Amino acid sequence: MCQTARKEIGEGTTGRSNNIIQVQRLCKSYGETRALESVSFAVCNGEVFGYLGPNGAGKTTTVNILCDLIERDAGEVIICGLDIERDPVAVKKRIGVVPEESNLYPELSCRRNLEYLAELYGLSRAVRRKKANDLLETFDLTDKGAAPFRALSRGMKRRLTVAAALLHSPEVVFLDEPTAGLDVPSARALRRLIQTINRGGTTVFLTTHNLAEAEALCNRVLILVKGHVVTEGTAAEIRQRVEKARTLSVVLSGEVAEGSLLEACPAIHSASSTEGTWHLEVTDTHAAVAQIVSFAEQQGVRVSEIGTATTSLEDAFVTILKDSGEEREVGP
Amino acid sequence: MNQLVNALFISRKDIESYYSKPPLITWGILFPAVLMLAIYVKDPATYLNVAPGIIAMTLLFGNTSMAAIVVTFEKRSGTLQRLLLTPVTHRTIVLGKAASAAVYGIATSLVITGGLALLLGMSFVNPLVFSIGLLLGAGVFSLLGLIASVMVREVFEAMTLMNFLRFPILFISGVFMPIESLPAWVKPIALVSPLTYVVELLRFGISGQSYFTSPWISVLAAGGFLAVSWLISGPAFRRNANR
Repeated sequence: MCQTARKEIGEGTTGRSNNIIQVQRLCKSYGETRALESVSFAVCNGEVFGYLGPNGAGKTTTVNILCDLIERDAGEVIICGLDIERDPVAVKKRIGVVPEESNLYPELSCRRNLEYLAELYGLSRAVRRKKANDLLETFDLTDKGAAPFRALSRGMKRRLTVAAALLHSPEVVFLDEPTAGLDVPSARALRRLIQTINRGGTTVFLTTHNLAEAEALCNRVLILVKGHVVTEGTAAEIRQRVEKARTLSVVLSGEVAEGSLLEACPAIHSASSTEGTWHLEVTDTHAAVAQIVSFAEQQGVRVSEIGTATTSLEDAFVTILKDSGEEREVGP
Repeated sequence: MNQLVNALFISRKDIESYYSKPPLITWGILFPAVLMLAIYVKDPATYLNVAPGIIAMTLLFGNTSMAAIVVTFEKRSGTLQRLLLTPVTHRTIVLGKAASAAVYGIATSLVITGGLALLLGMSFVNPLVFSIGLLLGAGVFSLLGLIASVMVREVFEAMTLMNFLRFPILFISGVFMPIESLPAWVKPIALVSPLTYVVELLRFGISGQSYFTSPWISVLAAGGFLAVSWLISGPAFRRNANR
């Protein structure tokens, strides 16, 4: 489904497609600093799309452009078939946004906050009341309806901010670091709510630093580094790409020469041996395993052990950052 | 039409959140009331010469200060960004916020005007021109307050910027002395101050006298300032609201 969508973008198609968000060659600079350089991606209708990257990668800049908070320098942004720059009001009616900071009106009660925002989305008085009540109930805030927003705990504020983004039943919800700063139970509850929202058919655009969260929630993820898209795909695809450059640990039943091993196995990039275990940096895990087994047979030795650690999305992310020269994210 | 309704919603929310709070109402009324009383006590025979200026000053300070405080507060708290995420245009936000500040300025000015009428016997020669003066002044000063405040982030920065403009124009706009009495070199400068025209409209409404031959000159000039402020406010808001 998404491959089709990407193909359509590549072909410059902007008409009917399954892409609810299409971004092409998006550029943005702040003075001399280039925040986004020719960023292109597509988000499919109904998916949870993870937009990942280290601090300063350009994630929030992208979200701000997609929500019409800042203007782009170049490129095209189509959301729900509409250009955000040409028709911002129509787009905003179809999207909901949860910014990084919960930013509802501190002096207004929770219920008044929801009703005021519902007014601005053009909901009738009866619908406004019903929506506010339903959302307060869904987000377990009914007993806080009369409390001012400023009096809520951080987790409650976050939940009400998500509720506010859903008032008008948007087609796409942008969630910028939705669980940042929340305690574990609140973060888990919010993740369950995100899954519920998505099961209701709403597309979710999620930026997060929590890669376990991205892995658990997202159908596809994109990794942005220094304003460039470095990789995109499902978590499994990204792990697989990184695994191609991983280290294998191999124990052979007999002695072999390093030179002959490297010569016989082109998928091995480098090799070192300690206490009978070979540590092999390989360019392609599957090819290397096949070559090692074949080499062992030729040498008349047995492969006693062969293994590789399971790569999480976080491992893959760190490797990608390393490759991109983002060393600060790699340190302890 | 929907955007106009949204502007009303924004105004109503701002009045509810900020302008209807007793400390703000007191702040807007106390200073001009005390100043007016001091002038009256000093010379009861001539207080009417200064009354239009004091009412216009109430409007100027009330509107610009409150618009600046509200916008900078909302920028800092992030609620202005929340408003920008809703399906309202930047013009709608400007209209809604300027309208609520204008209501506050007009309300405080009317309290001062009512006090002068009830307690000191001030009367009106032309209430229509007086009302037009109040409306145009409230519009111009609210928009100027919004433009200044949206360009900065802190309340003190907005106040510094506003004071840099407000205090000089108080002395060149016929607030404390008629334009006729100003030094010759100041008079041309007075003509580029919107406060001059508001003061002259209020003066005409109260006494039937004005520096200009017709009150319509002041109406046109103040209307021109309003139009220019409105034109500038949209792009200024779009460029700076989310900074």
